[in-house]
Amino acid sequence: MELQKFYYDNKIVKLFAYATLFWGIVGMLVGVLVAIQLVFPAFNFNLAFTTFGRVRPVHTNAIIFAFVGNGIFTGYYYSLQRLLKTGMASKWMSYTHFWGWQSIIVLAAVTLLAGFTSGKEYAELEWPIDILIAVIWVIFGWNMMWTILKRRTKHIYVAIWFYIATFVTVAVLHIGNSIEIPWSFLKSYPVYAGVQDALVQWWYGHNAVAFFLTTPYLGLMYYFMPKAANRPVYSYKLSIIHFWALIFLYIWAGPHHLLYQSIPNWAQSLGTVFSLMLIAPSWGGMINGLLTLRGAWDKVREEPVLKFFVVAITAYGMSTFEGPMLSLKSINAISHFTNWTVGHVHIGALGWNGFLTFGMIYWLMPRLFNTKLYSVKLANLHFWMGTLAILFYSIPLYWAGWTEASMFKQFNEAGELVYPNFLQVVSQIMPMYVMRIFGGTLYFLGAIIMVFNIVKTVKAGSFVATEADEAPALEKEGGMKSGEDFHRFLERKPVRFMILAIVAILIGGIVEIVPTYLIKSNIPTISSVKPYTPLELQGRDIYIKEGCYNCHSQMIRPFRSETERYGEYSKAGEYVYDHPFQWGSKRTGPDLWREGVKTGRLYKPDSWHYNHFMDPQKMNATSIMPKYSWLADYEIDINSTPAKIRVMQTLGVPYPEGYDKIANDDLKAQAEKIAAGLKAQGIDVDSNKQVIALIAYIQRLGTDISSGTETAETK
Amino acid sequence: MSNTDENKLPHGEPEIDELTNDRYLGGHEYDGIRELDNKLPAWWLYLFYFTIIFGLVYLVGYHLAGWWPLQDDEYKNEVAAAAVIKQAVPVVTIDLENLVPLTAEADLASGKETYDKICVTCHGKFGEGLVGPNFTDMFWIHGDSTNNKVSIKNLYDVVITGVIEKGMISYKDQLSPIQIQQVLSFILTFQGTNPANQKAPQGKKYDTFG
Repeated sequence: MELQKFYYDNKIVKLFAYATLFWGIVGMLVGVLVAIQLVFPAFNFNLAFTTFGRVRPVHTNAIIFAFVGNGIFTGYYYSLQRLLKTGMASKWMSYTHFWGWQSIIVLAAVTLLAGFTSGKEYAELEWPIDILIAVIWVIFGWNMMWTILKRRTKHIYVAIWFYIATFVTVAVLHIGNSIEIPWSFLKSYPVYAGVQDALVQWWYGHNAVAFFLTTPYLGLMYYFMPKAANRPVYSYKLSIIHFWALIFLYIWAGPHHLLYQSIPNWAQSLGTVFSLMLIAPSWGGMINGLLTLRGAWDKVREEPVLKFFVVAITAYGMSTFEGPMLSLKSINAISHFTNWTVGHVHIGALGWNGFLTFGMIYWLMPRLFNTKLYSVKLANLHFWMGTLAILFYSIPLYWAGWTEASMFKQFNEAGELVYPNFLQVVSQIMPMYVMRIFGGTLYFLGAIIMVFNIVKTVKAGSFVATEADEAPALEKEGGMKSGEDFHRFLERKPVRFMILAIVAILIGGIVEIVPTYLIKSNIPTISSVKPYTPLELQGRDIYIKEGCYNCHSQMIRPFRSETERYGEYSKAGEYVYDHPFQWGSKRTGPDLWREGVKTGRLYKPDSWHYNHFMDPQKMNATSIMPKYSWLADYEIDINSTPAKIRVMQTLGVPYPEGYDKIANDDLKAQAEKIAAGLKAQGIDVDSNKQVIALIAYIQRLGTDISSGTETAETK
Repeated sequence: MSNTDENKLPHGEPEIDELTNDRYLGGHEYDGIRELDNKLPAWWLYLFYFTIIFGLVYLVGYHLAGWWPLQDDEYKNEVAAAAVIKQAVPVVTIDLENLVPLTAEADLASGKETYDKICVTCHGKFGEGLVGPNFTDMFWIHGDSTNNKVSIKNLYDVVITGVIEKGMISYKDQLSPIQIQQVLSFILTFQGTNPANQKAPQGKKYDTFG
């Protein structure tokens, strides 16, 4: 057969690798900042755009989509070309992908800090950026599929199975979760509300973990681990089983983020059992990764790349065991809303994604620059710093999580909460927050050492922009042959492979989300639940803008320890007008769902809220909440009220016909009443300030249910 | 060429990896990466089966057979169990007609505990006042102005009924009568102190307390 000559594009790999390092450093530095803010509120700098609620999403987005995202594309562009024996199908698509992705990151950072957020975790970006992401993602995937189709190898390797699954699933998740109706150039409301929004969001959120942080990295592992160890993959059969099981089962697991919350019981149970069934498929990847080292463990001692890989895969194994455990009701009752979850995700982020990225970069850069790594010693130092950092980071947070849960749930002999004041718990875990700063900083410094090492390596080498290779052209082959294994057949039919993957990942989402629209009893309606007043709606948008949901939940779970602390537990029907839902996932501060209930335990007057927003430490010396003093300076954007009302009407919120035209009259009347009440308490603030709207919203929270009765129409 | 044939060397023998004695899969080579023909590890497979069975039992037990309570019932059970505990706690009755400040150390300590949990949010750590009035002087908002005196019973009524328009909620469901008496007794120890950041006096000045 005649050999064809072709070229690998290394420049695109290099660009993505540089972007990975750059955004990694930025993301980790922002992570250190938010960790410091939780101990020293002064580091919020009393500025809107440097305050925790806006900075924390920058950290999570930077690490997930900028650091890990660019890491995925680095390894993907390198391995895809070589595994398929061809250059990329389209050069302009590769580079549009690169620059498009970097612009998305920059736009994300700017808009998030400016307070433009959808209020949905890990999907905070607003609608114009959502569209840009979809376009760039399709360009990336199109280029990939096109490259696969013009390959010179007969079969596609397991790494590429994972790339294909990643492409199709992330596209489905991103588009599905981002369906929203704009009311301004940079703001929108999601079409989903309350329970449905929660289910869609965590279908997305959980599978962002699965298909952005896991499957593409498994693909990278399947390429770089055997390459670095120069050993064969342990079991092809295991690859097949764990691949299909993983992508099919993962999609169902989303509701485990909503256990003991106001979603239907059956959805919760599906979340639990599918999470548990994920242990073995996840461990399939771990086994194939670690057992690939059989016969070559001695190499791990010498080769820092392998050390990073071994810790990465071990961390993967640990967090994919811990995840299902956290999905068991009894454990979730303890762990949810606490720092345990934060510890858990950082085992994944720092260990699995971080270390796999580091190992890959150390392996890749000397090859791209045709040289040796500048210093193996420094790489080893980085390895040990990083490993210790993971321990220093996670152990205090696990400890904190346990402490929080036991203090929140402790009753005395008289049946009363022992620690009814939330701040007692906050103060107790302060030392753990301090240790976490230490762990995070150590990890960050290790990454700095890596950057230094890579810069030195790059300077010593000379970049190989294109690499030539040769292979025979792929012969046309038809349908399945006799004796050919079905999966082997599928491996040479990438389009069919992709379609099957789409089918596998659609089933779980459809089964869990669609019935909540079709079956009324899933969300029993409550007659007394009414839409927000215009002022409350504006206040709610400020709540979202400032990222309050990063620290406060709006979801009281049916435990005595929660109802004694916060009041009546949450009902599904209470959230039907919440576009988006704001249940939250972490209680750095207390739950706020019954904050407005005047007979409740948490009720505080408008004047308290005003003073508290201006200076939380004045009201509670040990509070770690940032100041929000600008809320008394900035005015409510009342010009947006009509558009907001109209979008809400489109989404089915029952404001009367033509209400958009008179909504601001109601808004002003309510605002003036609140301002007058504050004035009587000696607080002078104009009724058009944002703080007034936020107070109105806070005082509305959870109040509808007190006079209502729950009725399911089908009952 | 069928898949089984791919596994064979030209002379018919499967190729064996020297380090592990495992069989290579023929034809499985991608950019130099080869794959071994190992079976699924048995423990792994059993683990997978176990989780699937667990899942089935879980779904049947919770949703078909009703072996275990779902969350609303679980909550009801928890509250019922707590009610039993609460009933077992002896109720300390207090003489509301002749309510007097307590002076015993244990009472004041218990009062301080309640104060630090609840009152501190609005009245300040040292009774200096924040959103709520201070406790350091003889100016009282809820005294008995017709008889020109203020008593612990007046304050007791405030705690029981609340002053909702000012933001003081009713604590009758959160605190037992004796706890209220204790915390009020503690609050009276702020009288005459001079903590920092004291709020300006509010209400009417009374001459006598009692």
